[in-house]
Amino acid sequence: MLYIMSAILLSCGHSDASFEPLPKNVDFNFHIRPILVQNCYLCHGPDPSSRKANLRLDTYEGATAALKEGGFAVVPGKPDKSQLIERINHQHEDKIMPPVETNSKLTEREKALLEKWIKQGAEWKPHWSFIKPSLEEHKDEMATIDLFINKRLEEKKLNKVSTANKNTLIRRVSYLLTGLPPLPKDVKNYISDTSEHAYENMVDHYLNSSAYGERWARHWMDLVRYAETKGHEFDYSITGAWKYRDYLIRAFNDDIPYNQLLKEHLAGDLLEEKRYNPESGVLESHLATAFYALGEGTHSPVDVRQDESNRIDNMIDVTTKTFQGLTVSCAKCHDHKFDPITAADYYALYGVMESTRFTPLDSDRSISKEITAKEILEIQDYVKTMVSEKVQPKTLSQESEINSANAYKMLGDFRNSDFDGWVSEGFAFGNKTTLGNPIINESSGKLIAFNDGKASSRIFDTGVFGTLRSSNFILDSDFIGVRARGHKSTIRIIIDNFQLIKNPIYGDLTKGINNSDWKNYTFNVGPWKGHKAYIEILPGQYPGQSFNLSDNAFIEAKYAISYNTQWPSEIKAPDKTLASTYSPSQINELNSRLKSGQTKAYFPELVTIIDSIKERSKDLKSSSFVYGVTDGFAINSPVFNRGRYQELSEDSIPRRFLSALPLGDVAFKSKGSGRLELANAMLNKENPLTARVMVNRIWHHLFGRGIVETVDNFGLQGKLPSHPELLDHLAITFQNNGWSVKKMIKYIVTSEAFKRSTITNKELLAKDPSNIYLASFPVRRLESEAIRDGILVASESLDSTLYGPPVPIYLTEFMQGRGRPKKPGPLDGNGRRSIYQEVRRNFLEPMMTTFDRPIPFTTFGKRDVTNVPSQSLILMNDPFVIAQAEIMAEKLLAQNDLSIHQKIEWVYMNAFSRKPSIEEITNASKFISLLEEMKKTEVSDVDIDLEVWKEYCHSIFNLKEFLYLI
Amino acid sequence: MSKYHNFMQKPLSRREMLDICKGGFGSLAFMSLFGVLPTACGRSGKSILDASSNLNLGPHYLPKAKNIIFLYMDGGVSQVDSFDPKPRLTKENGQDPRKKFKVDATQFDNVGKILKSPWAFKQYGDCGMPVSELFPHIATCVDDIALIRSMTSQFPEHTNANYFLHTGSGLQGRPSMGSWMTYGLGSENKNIPGYVVLDGGLIPPGGLDNFKNGFLPASYQASILRAGDHPIANIKPKEKIQNLQEQKLGFINQLDKQQLAEIGKVDAVESAISNYELAYKMQSSIPELTEFKAETKATKKLYGFESDDPHTRGYAAQCLLARRLVERGVRFIELTCPKVSADRWDQHGNLKDGHERNAHAVDQPIAGLLKDLKSRGLLEETLVVWTGEFGRTPFAQGTNGRDHNPSAGSMWMAGAGIKGGTIFGRTDDYGYRVIENEVTVHDIHATMMHLMGINHEHLTFRFGGRDMRLTDVHGHIIKDILA
Repeated sequence: MLYIMSAILLSCGHSDASFEPLPKNVDFNFHIRPILVQNCYLCHGPDPSSRKANLRLDTYEGATAALKEGGFAVVPGKPDKSQLIERINHQHEDKIMPPVETNSKLTEREKALLEKWIKQGAEWKPHWSFIKPSLEEHKDEMATIDLFINKRLEEKKLNKVSTANKNTLIRRVSYLLTGLPPLPKDVKNYISDTSEHAYENMVDHYLNSSAYGERWARHWMDLVRYAETKGHEFDYSITGAWKYRDYLIRAFNDDIPYNQLLKEHLAGDLLEEKRYNPESGVLESHLATAFYALGEGTHSPVDVRQDESNRIDNMIDVTTKTFQGLTVSCAKCHDHKFDPITAADYYALYGVMESTRFTPLDSDRSISKEITAKEILEIQDYVKTMVSEKVQPKTLSQESEINSANAYKMLGDFRNSDFDGWVSEGFAFGNKTTLGNPIINESSGKLIAFNDGKASSRIFDTGVFGTLRSSNFILDSDFIGVRARGHKSTIRIIIDNFQLIKNPIYGDLTKGINNSDWKNYTFNVGPWKGHKAYIEILPGQYPGQSFNLSDNAFIEAKYAISYNTQWPSEIKAPDKTLASTYSPSQINELNSRLKSGQTKAYFPELVTIIDSIKERSKDLKSSSFVYGVTDGFAINSPVFNRGRYQELSEDSIPRRFLSALPLGDVAFKSKGSGRLELANAMLNKENPLTARVMVNRIWHHLFGRGIVETVDNFGLQGKLPSHPELLDHLAITFQNNGWSVKKMIKYIVTSEAFKRSTITNKELLAKDPSNIYLASFPVRRLESEAIRDGILVASESLDSTLYGPPVPIYLTEFMQGRGRPKKPGPLDGNGRRSIYQEVRRNFLEPMMTTFDRPIPFTTFGKRDVTNVPSQSLILMNDPFVIAQAEIMAEKLLAQNDLSIHQKIEWVYMNAFSRKPSIEEITNASKFISLLEEMKKTEVSDVDIDLEVWKEYCHSIFNLKEFLYLI
Repeated sequence: MSKYHNFMQKPLSRREMLDICKGGFGSLAFMSLFGVLPTACGRSGKSILDASSNLNLGPHYLPKAKNIIFLYMDGGVSQVDSFDPKPRLTKENGQDPRKKFKVDATQFDNVGKILKSPWAFKQYGDCGMPVSELFPHIATCVDDIALIRSMTSQFPEHTNANYFLHTGSGLQGRPSMGSWMTYGLGSENKNIPGYVVLDGGLIPPGGLDNFKNGFLPASYQASILRAGDHPIANIKPKEKIQNLQEQKLGFINQLDKQQLAEIGKVDAVESAISNYELAYKMQSSIPELTEFKAETKATKKLYGFESDDPHTRGYAAQCLLARRLVERGVRFIELTCPKVSADRWDQHGNLKDGHERNAHAVDQPIAGLLKDLKSRGLLEETLVVWTGEFGRTPFAQGTNGRDHNPSAGSMWMAGAGIKGGTIFGRTDDYGYRVIENEVTVHDIHATMMHLMGINHEHLTFRFGGRDMRLTDVHGHIIKDILA
């Protein structure tokens, strides 16, 4: 066995290319760089820390510079003077390159290529994917997918096979566009439709079906390591993760342009032009930021700073792979070994992520809520101005002096009218404190008092969502104190952006506020001196680490301080004079006059206004949340030497995009994270990657293999494109068509290449065994979801309800461990599509993982396709599969008066989208008789008919024609 | 054998497949079927495989061990109460540790007084290795054991430390060591998975991701085996009538082959067809494993089947099963802990009671396993590894527990290629920190791989732009414990 394997590998390693003639023009990108990357760059690449002999072969300057020991590695035009050629051909073990111990060996063809390339002038080019897509030939509108595909087929002398039959085509289009097999009636319609546009109409039908969004959302979820729990020790839920899943389904179904989708992911919370759902008015654009927050959540890390760096590393990894097809995380510890990505690039992005805060987002936020809130605030201002004009203080504002010798530091004082530099988001806290808000008797209109100053989450009503957060500060005291009151609400100290705050270790950093009397809440932060932190005040709670907000929840705070040893005896309020309102001391004076009756004022005209405010405020309440992000304050990160935060560089790297790409040298100006600038840089017209990476993903999902096979890696170690011109053509077309994913899919699936039959022949298998050139359509196994959903469709028990909370996962006895849900979900997942089955990191669905759904820890644009007995065992013995076979049989037998032929035909149409041949009917009939014989021997009063057809349907689920797109 | 003849295909077209493969592109499915090689060679003709020659094709050099049994002491055994005696703890019992040495932040931050071991130590064997009263049976095997007293972890949290110990990374989702081993070596027995976890009742914190394939193909994930007559998921045919399943499989095979003939020898489909053959055989080979009928009374007794403690009996069965898996060529077998009433080895309180219960459950079965393997000549080719994810603090948590200590712990290896009776590494007088010959988790992995004939620096998998390794960029073979 092993011997056979080595034979295969040897043939791989040296490849048929050895015998191919050298190209007329040797191209650096397509012929030379792959050799250098594989064999040379580890020691002679961009990373100076591992560079040997001070020689770098990744740049022209480096390769042509004088060598220390004399001579030049490369002398353009003169291979015989180039040391590189001498060394790769050297006879001596000590001299030959690559060195013997690396186990790398150049083939004769590779050596010849290098020589010819130097002879031709040794032209260096930037890596192909870093050059903007452009077409020298075929720029015109005549260019089509087939033009480029056929060109390569001709070059390779491959004969394309014929077009697939209509049954195959509708099955292919239906599965690839919606993840479901076509319904028998749709198959019949399509077969009988002989019109010119039959195929196109059929494609449109599936593009417009809501199942389309489910299919393509699931593809996307592989990129963003989608899961609904945080994994690690206790597998806590991620608040409302499924709302992000639903966002994706809507976005794909509504064909939101890809540039918009990208922008919403990176900076949906920061967009000036927000996107609302046209039907419900719900704010869509901020929901996408949930993708940042779908990572693993560590339980009680002892080193919280390290935990932050791990978390950010994952965010950078996912972001750069997903949107740019680059592995920036490789530059965490040192400059990238192969790609032009420096450690400074990595830490420029690190700053972006570090300046980003996690937060629950109101997933019910809508345009009407926003208008309501704005209007109420205006009316409140109007009322306040009106009352204040009538009732004025006599005293002047007292500019009180704050004793600088105080044994505390003020972190936020809300007793004046502003938030003292804290950030209020959502509706709850409005845009200023309650200072000077008139309190008016609701029936008589009598002015009772003016409100004192405090940050309050119920300026509209209780149960309204919003957050109040401080800026970042460095912890330098033993305690933080907040004077607050409230109900079912929370104050948290967020250290190094760490969110999973609980015992052991972190329990003291979160306080439930559950008392309507003012109290001093203290947080013991002594152990974290020197860490960066901010304070978060919000109505609502995080029970089980998942956020919720009760209808009657509210929180109010007067100030936040830091101090050592003891809560200070007196905390003076400074009187700030602000134009908009009276100062605290003036309000005091007014209130004592009102209380003593010295001043009396009535505003009966305001009673109805106040009443209507109260009524309308109810609309602002929220009960639905998704965990996403918001902007913090700009932090530029130093470089962590060797990836260790304990070893920081002196200078910080300004937040910016990758230096090797357009706009990569422009520092972000934002006072927040700079995520919007990051998105804009990726969408810059000159960016060579964004469109290419996405069209390649689409191509990959349709053909089972990308034009660039390594869909998440367009760097130097990624595979070269099989059809570079086609890729550029698609990238340009994609952008010209407004980044429409649907249009791109339609363009691809209406090509001749897509419609070809899978039936291949010996010649093609020999010449192009991997079917890179697409002379035939590739056979492929369906993905885990498509197999399960296909079973549900065949048994006619699919519940095609869209959206909603996940169906709890069905737990087998083999799924054990901490955080195991108390109750298992239903075996059949309520008949819902696989995308709606819960994704618990520590309890992944065995059928899904066994059929290669990736483990959600980073970006997987390309799934493995493994082939193992456990897959057969699932299809043979899993209770879900068997139950569905029985349901299918019941559905079949419920139709009266079907002949055995008609029954078999029904099964074939349901399972294979085609009618059986006469031979197949004969075969099946024989098998069914055999089953009947066997069942008759069974001593029990079972329904033999049902049993027989169940066994037959079960067998059908196991056929390769059912599991593969053939 | 004749049972499945009617659907088993002819020993097929491997030659034909080879013809296909010679074109420069391996038949993925075919290879992964045998747990060999998941990755294809690239267009450039170079692949990760060539980068370091023919790895993944069996060992890099002559292996000492064919199999590994990994006895996972979930929660962290206290080193100063088991294999690393510290008289100074007795002397200074009750004193403030902060006055003696610098105390690191701990998981529970509830640092108590220096706590002496409640158990006495005695020297055993020709080598005179000291072992505490907790492990009277294992103590009788010390001449086969290489003890490491200087194990460290990077993480004081269970979950991170578990991921670290199992995957070489503290983060979730990386391939576990068993996955790497089967990826590198394949399985010797195609009717049984190459990587098996015997679930003794406790899946460690971090869950099944401790045993998953990470970025390696799903074929390399562990199969979880549980006690009872349904040891592996979906292993039992649901057909009640004899031969019914065979008839169905025969029908399936017939139609599949017609299909294949029509589309023209697509190897992915061809391999999927032959998978049914394997799956069918597994249905009988797996349940047979857990049948202990053929084992003698003496053997069972040796393992502790006659113990009064149900947890000892349970773990004994797991240990015996491990030997049976070794006999059948399973590469990597991990045993998780039994669910004794005191929670794993994680004694934050009630150290004495908890450690005694845990030790009682595993001590005799482990010693039985070592002796049984030895008497059958299997210990020579089986590496047995005993370890927790970290050690425990020499000072109390509260009054009578111990907190996590990633700075020092004891572990041992025995069997293939191991120099028995060795003690390696040293901790300070309190057993708190390593002062000599630190052994990291990467070193443990490098050594395990080395004994299996794998150069840990050469077993790589290209993922996310890097050639990933179990040992990342670290790991040294612990030469001093090798025979």
